Amino acid sequence: MKTATPSLTTSETFSVVSDLFSQAITGELIGMSNFASLAETIDDYEEKMEAVEHADSERSHAEGFLHFAKEAGLQVNINLEGEYWRSVREQFLAYAGKRDFIACLFIQEVILESFAVSMYTDVGDALGGEAGKLFRSIAEEEKEHLDHSTEILREELRKDATAFVDKIEEVHFNCMTILAQFSATTDLRGHCGVCHGSCMKADLHHVGLDSATMRGNALALYARALDNIGIPGEKSMVWIAQLPA
Amino acid sequence: MDRPASRLDFAVIGHQDSWANIHTFVNRIRTPEQGTLSVEKVKAIFPFIPARDLFRVTVTSRTGDTIKGVYIDTFIEPDKLGVTNLRTNLRKVEDAIAFAKKLEAPIVALGGFTSIFLEGELSPYASSNTRFTTGNTLTSAFIVKGVEQAAVENQLDLRSASVLIIGATGDIGRACVGYFQSRVNNLLLCARNKRRLERLAGEVKAGGGRCTSAIELSTLLPRADVIICVASSSNLALAGVKPEAIICDAGYPKNLFRDAADRPGFLFHGGMGQVEGGYRFEPDYTDSFYQYPAPDIIHGCILEAMVLAFEKRFENYSSGRGNITVEKVEEIYRLSLKHGIALAPFFNDNGLCPTRPKVSSI
Repeated sequence: MKTATPSLTTSETFSVVSDLFSQAITGELIGMSNFASLAETIDDYEEKMEAVEHADSERSHAEGFLHFAKEAGLQVNINLEGEYWRSVREQFLAYAGKRDFIACLFIQEVILESFAVSMYTDVGDALGGEAGKLFRSIAEEEKEHLDHSTEILREELRKDATAFVDKIEEVHFNCMTILAQFSATTDLRGHCGVCHGSCMKADLHHVGLDSATMRGNALALYARALDNIGIPGEKSMVWIAQLPA
Repeated sequence: MDRPASRLDFAVIGHQDSWANIHTFVNRIRTPEQGTLSVEKVKAIFPFIPARDLFRVTVTSRTGDTIKGVYIDTFIEPDKLGVTNLRTNLRKVEDAIAFAKKLEAPIVALGGFTSIFLEGELSPYASSNTRFTTGNTLTSAFIVKGVEQAAVENQLDLRSASVLIIGATGDIGRACVGYFQSRVNNLLLCARNKRRLERLAGEVKAGGGRCTSAIELSTLLPRADVIICVASSSNLALAGVKPEAIICDAGYPKNLFRDAADRPGFLFHGGMGQVEGGYRFEPDYTDSFYQYPAPDIIHGCILEAMVLAFEKRFENYSSGRGNITVEKVEEIYRLSLKHGIALAPFFNDNGLCPTRPKVSSI
């Protein structure tokens, strides 16, 4: 059994760390499924192969978290049908069904990866030890996905800025609203279906985290991602201010 | 960053001075269906937002010229401007400077707290065609011209008056000292850094001026006929002040208690100008950010960037600390008048003061 994470020594920290791994594994599996669906929307065979490769990358992340959790004896709950993860997946599939590659790319590689990179980094820094190292290394790999999408989306913006910004605005509200509800101090749409018992947010302090800072950092990274794509700041400010909190 | 934006003539980097303004701004953006957010919820989001442009600004000169600019907010928390948050705040200013450079603004004003970057010689100039100014010279001009105008309207002869400057060793404070040292009977100088204060008092005396200096404000307040507040302090009390004293609060955030305007005498918010040709924001957030009792009022520091843009003088006009000369004060004031940017009507927290300054012209 892994003992490198000192925060597993009390029942409270054991529960929180178990929930953190549960969320990470569920999120990675959603990402894997999304990339697999994304491959369906792509005509270019090279891009199609790349999407499958990304799906495999998410699978390996899920596997890495799962392996660590088993070794550490954590109580993991994986639930792709939980309220928020299922809703995000449904949004993704709706765009995949329309073969809207840009919308799918934005959901998976900008919205979800911004949250993954930021939250994994925060969790990694807080947990330290082997668990922290695992979260930080996966955050680094997810960052590559974020960077990869930026170039494609910038090119799309160059072609028709107005149409692109309108589309991204629509996707933002359809998908970020769910993540904003999910990451609010209290779950705004009820229990996530992944955490054991009650919501872990109130217990994050046991491992040196707090939900407001994690949410703030994630929104900050998302805002920077929008900047890098070329979304005007006056737009992204409004988009963020209009999210549930 | 490739942006679908038109060419900019100037940019302004700033921060908000109250959570009340920020709360209004955020909820103004939200639709009735999205509901309003409490101040606590706004506080949980706002400080995390990276620097970004919030709105475009179009300004028209008396000459008929029009310039376009942008306002970039640093998202510095208004109640965390002290030294304990210095590192975080400097990083936010750095982010905003990088943002302004990406937008290729030729001249950028660093307003309010953010001017610390230029005053502290933390050069943001490297590898960029963008030029920066604190805007402190035009702010100083509006302060000193405002005090002179207020003295006329209140029948006070400045040549026989004692003028107290709170925050005397700061960049704007020093500019006020330089301007008034040969124009008033006596300068009363107050600042927190004793060594700097004594050095400044020595310079005034060496130049033939009369002055008294103290780090304790209470010893100077009862002697002042005019008080200019340009410190990085807030909630200063006015105990012992002469009832007829003229007070110019030009701090950002304001230096004095909010109820200071209720006292007898003449108190106005200094360092402000008014644009004759008007300015327009897009989106129009004037009901959240620039709520003044008269139209087209704006801070002198912001107006300095606009004046320099009208003049196409893309240079680091106000930079460092203690470099504002009387000649530069007069020059930027003359240029601002040329473009129809004049001293704002006197106002304070209670609204417009009963009298208004006579608008100068060249």
